[in-house]
Amino acid sequence: MSNLSTASLLTKKDFESNQDVRWCPGCGDYAVLAQIQKLMPQLGIPRENFAFISGIGCSSRFPYYMETYGMHGIHGRAPAIASGLKLARPELSVWVVTGDGDALAIGGNHFIHAMRRNVDLKIILLNNRIYGLTKGQYSPTSELGMKTKTTPLGNIDRPFSPTAVALGAGATFVARTVDSDQAHMAGVLKRAAEHKGAAFVEIFQNCIVFNDGAYDAITDKSVRDDARLLLEHGKPLVFGKNKDKGIRLRGLEPVVVEIGEHAASEADLVMHDESAEHSGLAFFLSQFDAPKFPVPLGVFRAVGQPTYEEMNTQLHADAEARKGRGTLAALFNSGDTWTIK
Amino acid sequence: MALTITDECINCDVCEPECPNNAISQGDEIYVIDPAKCTECVGHYDESQCVAVCPVDCIVVDPNNTETPEQLNEKFLRLTATPA
Repeated sequence: MSNLSTASLLTKKDFESNQDVRWCPGCGDYAVLAQIQKLMPQLGIPRENFAFISGIGCSSRFPYYMETYGMHGIHGRAPAIASGLKLARPELSVWVVTGDGDALAIGGNHFIHAMRRNVDLKIILLNNRIYGLTKGQYSPTSELGMKTKTTPLGNIDRPFSPTAVALGAGATFVARTVDSDQAHMAGVLKRAAEHKGAAFVEIFQNCIVFNDGAYDAITDKSVRDDARLLLEHGKPLVFGKNKDKGIRLRGLEPVVVEIGEHAASEADLVMHDESAEHSGLAFFLSQFDAPKFPVPLGVFRAVGQPTYEEMNTQLHADAEARKGRGTLAALFNSGDTWTIK
Repeated sequence: MALTITDECINCDVCEPECPNNAISQGDEIYVIDPAKCTECVGHYDESQCVAVCPVDCIVVDPNNTETPEQLNEKFLRLTATPA
């Protein structure tokens, strides 16, 4: 990147690097790359102010393909590296691209703390429910009973719901989309980019080689309307080909109900409120899974909270106002020090 | 009956290497098929290779480029003819 860029003149092409994209033909990762490259020029941010940080895995090849700054970091540590970068350079738009193994297995710790601290990072998790780069071992999101190279008799580990983990850690923005629905993905990614604070997006991503068809039930056009729930803020939770099913609460238990003359009316249904202060609604949506419930796609939660770097900057400014700039030598020789005689 | 790629294309790159006519390339937004080169695999295979591999079923017959099997075969012969 030789010249500073003028944000308003950028196009998708400006965000495509000269590297050959090395994912398997048919991989869902291509779809995510295309949508993110398309989104970048819409954000009004100069190209040199973007940084893409990754860990290890197929998804983590992402920074190579973006004509932005970036780091291909160590396994699971992308949120830690990105947090440090954001603190040091708060003016940057810092993105983390990770996978179900990188973020939830080896990197589970860093992932939850980035959420908890509300560092202004965009964390995109490509969830293919398998370890693709290492050729097909089960991951923390592999379903019960799934047969993989390392679970030949079927998986007995209960899978994580990444959205539930993020919400449990206090995430201020949580959303989910799917690789094969370009328009939906574009909308969700834009919302994440515009969120101030840690924005977590889970993208259901098909691994054509080691877990092909993992999301057929919610992507196949003939069945998907009955299997997925498109979340819209301020609208009732309605789904189905004929929009004739909805979600109702019986006490604290969500249930699927039919909508119609002799059944429930839309007024009885749960209204989606992504800005609810309490994360209860988002949390129960994050527990929905097929076949008992439709799989929610869209923004689960989007609330404003002070970001970590804002608080950090304030902390420093306050201390400086109170005590002056200070020097390292003075710091070393201050406070609880003593001389050994 | 040249084929065309609809806007449901996810840019996954699976079709391009399969095309025996090198008719598929990456366009500005999505992958595109050059109708002058697409024989719908007539002359090469029994079924259209790109349609068979597309994970989102977004490759369809182009309604603006309908050709008979004979026309497609002629195109195949023209494309594969060795220059005199």
